[in-house]
Amino acid sequence: MTQKFWQEEFETLSRNDLEKLQVERLNKTIESACASPFYRELYKQKNINQGSIKSIEQIRELPFTTKQDLRENFPYGFLTLPKKDIVRLHSSSGTTGNPTVIFHTKHDLESWANLLARSLFTAGVRDTDVFQNICGYGLFTGGLGFQYGIERLGALSIPAGAGNSLRQIKLMRDYGTTAAHAIPSYLGRLYEVFEEEGMDPKKDTQLKILVIGAEPHTDAQRKRIEEMYGVRAYNSFGLSEMNGPGVAFECENQNGLHIWEDCYVVEIVNPDTLEPVPDGEYGELVMTTLDREAMPLIRYRTRDITRFIPGDCSCGRTHRRIDRITGRSDDMFIIKGCNVFPMQIEGVLMKIPEVGSDYMINLETMNGNDEMVVEVEVKKDWFRGDIRRLDNLTKTITRQIRDEVLAKPIVKLVEAGSIPKSEGKAVRVKDNRKNGLVD
Amino acid sequence: MAYIVSIFLENKIGHFERVTTILKENCINIRSMAINDTANGWGILDLITDDPQKALDKLSEKGVSVALRKVIALEMLDDVGGLNDLLIELSRAGINFNNAFGRIVQERKTAILVLSVEDYEESLAKLKSHGLTILDDAKVYGN
Repeated sequence: MTQKFWQEEFETLSRNDLEKLQVERLNKTIESACASPFYRELYKQKNINQGSIKSIEQIRELPFTTKQDLRENFPYGFLTLPKKDIVRLHSSSGTTGNPTVIFHTKHDLESWANLLARSLFTAGVRDTDVFQNICGYGLFTGGLGFQYGIERLGALSIPAGAGNSLRQIKLMRDYGTTAAHAIPSYLGRLYEVFEEEGMDPKKDTQLKILVIGAEPHTDAQRKRIEEMYGVRAYNSFGLSEMNGPGVAFECENQNGLHIWEDCYVVEIVNPDTLEPVPDGEYGELVMTTLDREAMPLIRYRTRDITRFIPGDCSCGRTHRRIDRITGRSDDMFIIKGCNVFPMQIEGVLMKIPEVGSDYMINLETMNGNDEMVVEVEVKKDWFRGDIRRLDNLTKTITRQIRDEVLAKPIVKLVEAGSIPKSEGKAVRVKDNRKNGLVD
Repeated sequence: MAYIVSIFLENKIGHFERVTTILKENCINIRSMAINDTANGWGILDLITDDPQKALDKLSEKGVSVALRKVIALEMLDDVGGLNDLLIELSRAGINFNNAFGRIVQERKTAILVLSVEDYEESLAKLKSHGLTILDDAKVYGN
């Protein structure tokens, strides 16, 4: 009999048993969280006792954790263990302010790799596949996260890294890549390079599975990718605070992402009232880690907007499905796979005396690529009529924004006074992207 | 010492016209112009006007990013080989320039070459030692 699940004993647990497991693990998580300075203090204040959770609904009695909490307790305020037990960190980008950093023990990395292997298996990847990870390695979780997951699954991994389309194509053809992971906007660009080279990925590669994630996309965009490459494309969801990729994944039904409830408690709340929304309605995703030692997070507000898809899935997995992410309850946006807060851009510009602090970010699709165009006003008094000085300024701003958010912007200098002044809540981001639907 | 008026201009409909409108309203005459476009959606508009200081003041008042830039103006013949003769002289004097434009003063007789140079004082000294005459402001501005 062919294996249907990666871990049948967890993936098909009855809801009742799954919730029992969650309660047990949540109590353990609260206990270990209380070894961290942050939760020790917070739970003392709120009078929360260890082992007090009897049913999973009681999680609502616990306070939320926010990104702000992570930043304020940077770097070690959430650690439950001494540094000798910690073996890796992943961190958000940023040269200004405190980045978001997540620490892992050996156990945490193993648990994460297992969830990724389970996710890939769910999407149909097997140990016979050749898997090309087209994704930046380093502090970004998409590189190493997938790497360890592919290895755990037993497929042949190609740690290709991001960009360099010609090399990606050569790797695919040399080694007969059958499965790959990339951000959806890049796959549009890569297809163009295939065409420029007179190739058709449907005929000239052996690809059959693409895993797409790290960037919101529509179902239409997925279908277009499937047509371009002649593959099935599966939606992957994760966030660095919850390890990274491997949090929720689509099965062969491609109808929502199973979110691994043996390792996370998943809630969807109204972002204004913070009360749970009825099943099937959209709200903010709130998550609790159940299998992380170094840095448990309890009721973490992800700011991602989604909903539970009602009903059971015919694949046999009992873990609920969330819908693709439709937006954010804050002003973060994702470009080239990088999470960007407009405040980061503002922070960079404020330190450059030649420009004003008013700015506009236009997200555009240009030549098949999604680009972040940042419009900046040149200060009137700084202008000397010299083109090279302006060119150098453009380069400086480009480099500094890139260092801050990791995505390279297109910086456009504009005349002083042409950007609306920041009064109250000025709109700083305009998203004109075509969602991969370019002809 | 002559000046040109340099203006930061976005490559958008109406932006150039906004500048010429201000000049017209203030009775400033443009004697010559050039636009250096960049691939970045903006360019620099260089103008020779009859009153650079007034142009600077008036444009600046209206919020335009504008600057005066020192230039060296030289006379040449408005005839076949006129510019070539002058450039031969400039090569001999060892003058390098970043930007140049010209204007005709009297058709078929005289024209002016306007140069932006990296080191103004040094270039001036080189030109003088080679016996080249720097034009006075009135001639450059056409007053």
